[in-house]
Amino acid sequence: MTMDAAIRRAWLATRHLLIGAAVSLACYLMLGLLLLGLVATLLIVGAGILPETVQTVRRFASFERRRVGARTGEGVPQAYLPLTGPVAERLRHATTDPATYRDLRWVLAQLVYGLVLCYLSLILWLPAIIVDGIWCGVLGRRPVVLPVFDVLADLSCSWSRGLLQPPPGADLAQRVEQLTETRAGAVAAHGAELRRIERDLHDGAQARLVSLSMRIGLAKRAYDRDPEAARKLLDDAQDQAEQALAELRHVVRGIHPPVLTDRGLDGAVRALAASSGLSVEVAADGVTDGPRAPAAVEAAAYFVVAEALTNAAKHSGATRAEVALTRTPGMLRVLVRDHGCGGADESAGSGLIGVRRRVAALDGTVSLTSPAGGPTEIEVELPCAW
Amino acid sequence: MRLVIAEDNALLREGLVLLLQSAGHDVAGVASTGPEILPQLLEHRPDAAVLDVRMPPGFRDEGLRAALAARESLPDLPVLVLSQYVEETYAAELLGGGARGVGYLLKDRVGRVDEFLDALERVASGGTALDPEVVTELLSRRRQGSPLDSLTAREREVLQLMAEGHDNATIAKSLVITERSVHKHIGNVFTKLDLPPTEGGHRRVRAVLAYLNG
Repeated sequence: MTMDAAIRRAWLATRHLLIGAAVSLACYLMLGLLLLGLVATLLIVGAGILPETVQTVRRFASFERRRVGARTGEGVPQAYLPLTGPVAERLRHATTDPATYRDLRWVLAQLVYGLVLCYLSLILWLPAIIVDGIWCGVLGRRPVVLPVFDVLADLSCSWSRGLLQPPPGADLAQRVEQLTETRAGAVAAHGAELRRIERDLHDGAQARLVSLSMRIGLAKRAYDRDPEAARKLLDDAQDQAEQALAELRHVVRGIHPPVLTDRGLDGAVRALAASSGLSVEVAADGVTDGPRAPAAVEAAAYFVVAEALTNAAKHSGATRAEVALTRTPGMLRVLVRDHGCGGADESAGSGLIGVRRRVAALDGTVSLTSPAGGPTEIEVELPCAW
Repeated sequence: MRLVIAEDNALLREGLVLLLQSAGHDVAGVASTGPEILPQLLEHRPDAAVLDVRMPPGFRDEGLRAALAARESLPDLPVLVLSQYVEETYAAELLGGGARGVGYLLKDRVGRVDEFLDALERVASGGTALDPEVVTELLSRRRQGSPLDSLTAREREVLQLMAEGHDNATIAKSLVITERSVHKHIGNVFTKLDLPPTEGGHRRVRAVLAYLNG
């Protein structure tokens, strides 16, 4: 390693420790705040202060988790009970959550090792520059003191990780919280969907049928007096009926495409591929065997493929694309790849946002990669019981 | 014409029978579920069959499958398939054995009684009737640098009607132009799309659809 590189590494480690020292100072303040909150709570008057303080501690702990994750390349999970609802409940959660006490332990420890390690790293710089300046810079050997900075920073990271990592069981509590959140999201998405359908029917087909009925009524009145006018009204009425039918078809397609019912996911995706105008290769692995996926999952997968192929045909300039449907235990994976120009911008179109919402409502995940020059790849995983 | 019809919805079935009888046709057999269709066709040997796509017991594409099976065992039987919605893939499957005596229309089109009866006649006499919506979808697929882009608006209209299965006289009438200019437009379309010249009838439809599907 050259001298330059060694110094750069040592500096990065020192910066980590410097910020760690700042966190330690914050920990000192937080200890004071926690004591204040405790006293205020015992005096009843300030019962609301303690949960707020705990929340602040959590923020700092999360900051440290992110720092450790960024340095080590491996994230530190977190598991907290949510601090929401009335004061009493917030207070109960803040004081009964084991994570609160784990955080407190970390605050006390960080206060000490954050400052000590930072202090060590600072006094080490002078000998490091002198020793490695000669050893490495002049004699061209491997640096011996500069790597110690890395050791110090790594030590700080592993201590923080050890103290901040929730025990294995805490994952479940977090999972429950996450499920509660996605379930609420799903219910909201479902509600929005119902309102959209209601509005579509109300403004579209229903209004057309009213106007159709009106025209037939007028035609009946005009029938004897003015057959020519009656005929014209009946023509209009038929137009309205046809438009109402077209709108109903459109609404039905948006809820659950009929071809899915007829042909299943594999057949429906092949139909999409055939009508996309691109040369699309469809691979279905295990999707056609055994029981079918739930209707909502099939519909979401169908809309993902439809949206991806539409975008590929419209924007990417691709002539070829691949679709892969894979059934794994408890999961349906959908992958669409086009060999176009890439650079797909999710914020530019609303189509992909709709797809994301549909998928999120089913507790699934969407990942899009589209480097400039292509290929564009969209991968969706949908949990489902087969 | 002797017909066999398959439609599971009683209301629509009665309406269809009434409409066909009032036009002077003879409804020889009626099927209300998928498995009844083929035996009915084999028993009555009608001049044409009018089939609904979605039928009991599965409410999937029983009618379409029956239509395909019928064309296997009775190759000359003209089949008109009706559906609540159209799907390009289904059109391709139906036309797979050739465009002779095949129709695929939205159910909505039955309301335009004259046009519907006309389409039925066309299918029964070996022609083709493809729903405008299917053709529009075929035409709207975006291919970059497609020769379709070089067609004039009028030529596209002619191509659309040609793909639906209309003859020159009908195309002339619906576009309010002379048959001579229809003929000229068709010549242009075939040249621009680089299709071999064919006389009218189903072979022309087949060439056009093969091109659009390709």
